[in-house]
Amino acid sequence: MRCLLLSSCCLLMFSCSSVYRKMEKTQADASCILQFKPLFTKALYKTTVEVTGKHLSGLLLLKTMPDSSTRIVFSNEIGFKYFDFEFSAAGVFRVYYILPQMDKKPVLTTLRKDFEIVLMQHLNLQQSFARKKDSTVYYGFPQPKGNNYYITDINCSRLIRLERASARKPVVTVIMQNFKEGMPDTIGISHTNFNFDIGLKKLKE
Amino acid sequence: MCKIIALAFLLLPCIWVRAQHPGYKPVADLVAFKERFAVASKQTQSIKADFVQEKNLSLLTEKITSKGKFWFKKDKLVRMEYNQPFQYLLIINNNTVLVKDGQKENKISAKSNKLFQQINRMMVDCVQGTALSNPDFAITVFENTGSCLIELLPVAKGMKDYFKNINIIVSKKDYTVNKLEMYEQSGDNTIISFINKELNAAIPDALFAVK
Repeated sequence: MRCLLLSSCCLLMFSCSSVYRKMEKTQADASCILQFKPLFTKALYKTTVEVTGKHLSGLLLLKTMPDSSTRIVFSNEIGFKYFDFEFSAAGVFRVYYILPQMDKKPVLTTLRKDFEIVLMQHLNLQQSFARKKDSTVYYGFPQPKGNNYYITDINCSRLIRLERASARKPVVTVIMQNFKEGMPDTIGISHTNFNFDIGLKKLKE
Repeated sequence: MCKIIALAFLLLPCIWVRAQHPGYKPVADLVAFKERFAVASKQTQSIKADFVQEKNLSLLTEKITSKGKFWFKKDKLVRMEYNQPFQYLLIINNNTVLVKDGQKENKISAKSNKLFQQINRMMVDCVQGTALSNPDFAITVFENTGSCLIELLPVAKGMKDYFKNINIIVSKKDYTVNKLEMYEQSGDNTIISFINKELNAAIPDALFAVK
């Protein structure tokens, strides 16, 4: 019985420990990740969404407006709009439209945070920190809750993935691949704490 | 002065109509139009066409264009096959809707959602020629030399929240749909144009299978 209690406590302690804390601190310059910041002048993506066993698909348009804000419009293939968001140049989020069935605070917060990390917003270099793990560097940027991590190879020449994390573990993993003219060809957003994945594939115009 | 004001008030509806649908005037004899429309619709058993869909995002001054193939067969069977710039399939078979996106298939019963049911009925009505009797809309008909414009103003909740108005433009030659214009409350719109129409071609039922 004592053994079981002890092992349970060990297991609890182990599961509560942060996956990031064990990493080695490094003095790498976080400004290097700015080279990966996407500039969506105008891009149309075929989009699939898997959410709690349900499948949604449509077209996502990302466009940088003359005032440097970024608009994100998601509609289905037939033209019915799901949402229309704006991220101002200063990072202020604005909802122009959202389908009434989706107009719920947790949905909006999740989508806002997912797109914030993709757009690489709120990168305060003064507060940033870097950690090393094997042959990768984790560039961390504190957010109101947790951190956003941009993970590169050791020379900061390749963006491997992005992670939105709580204090202990990643809650969202993002990949952005095959950049052309500052825009990734493929974007994948995967939530680790519940079944919610977004896949984007750039369409040729 | 009073005469000028009275004249202005008399002319106002005419100016409004012109501004609303340039090139169109209200149909003089609505009963006769409905009769002609009903007779022509009865004769159309199937439609095969190509379509071009334009989604206009007003605030972004952007247009998303997609293209594909369209089939309609009586009664209440519609197939839209998008092939540019993406692959997507939509089949309406009575009250069941099947969408196929890549390898993923999704079957939805229109009965499960009121708004979906209304959109489903509107889509079928537009091509089937039964739009004039849809209770979800207040209907006004306009015409010019070659075509008629059926304006649907949503009265049912759900549709009213999303759409400002829907216009069906039908050819006066055969009363089949040339264009479907859906105007949203947000200022955006979706316009579907049907081209290369072939009427009453033999279309196998298998094209509309939703199993």
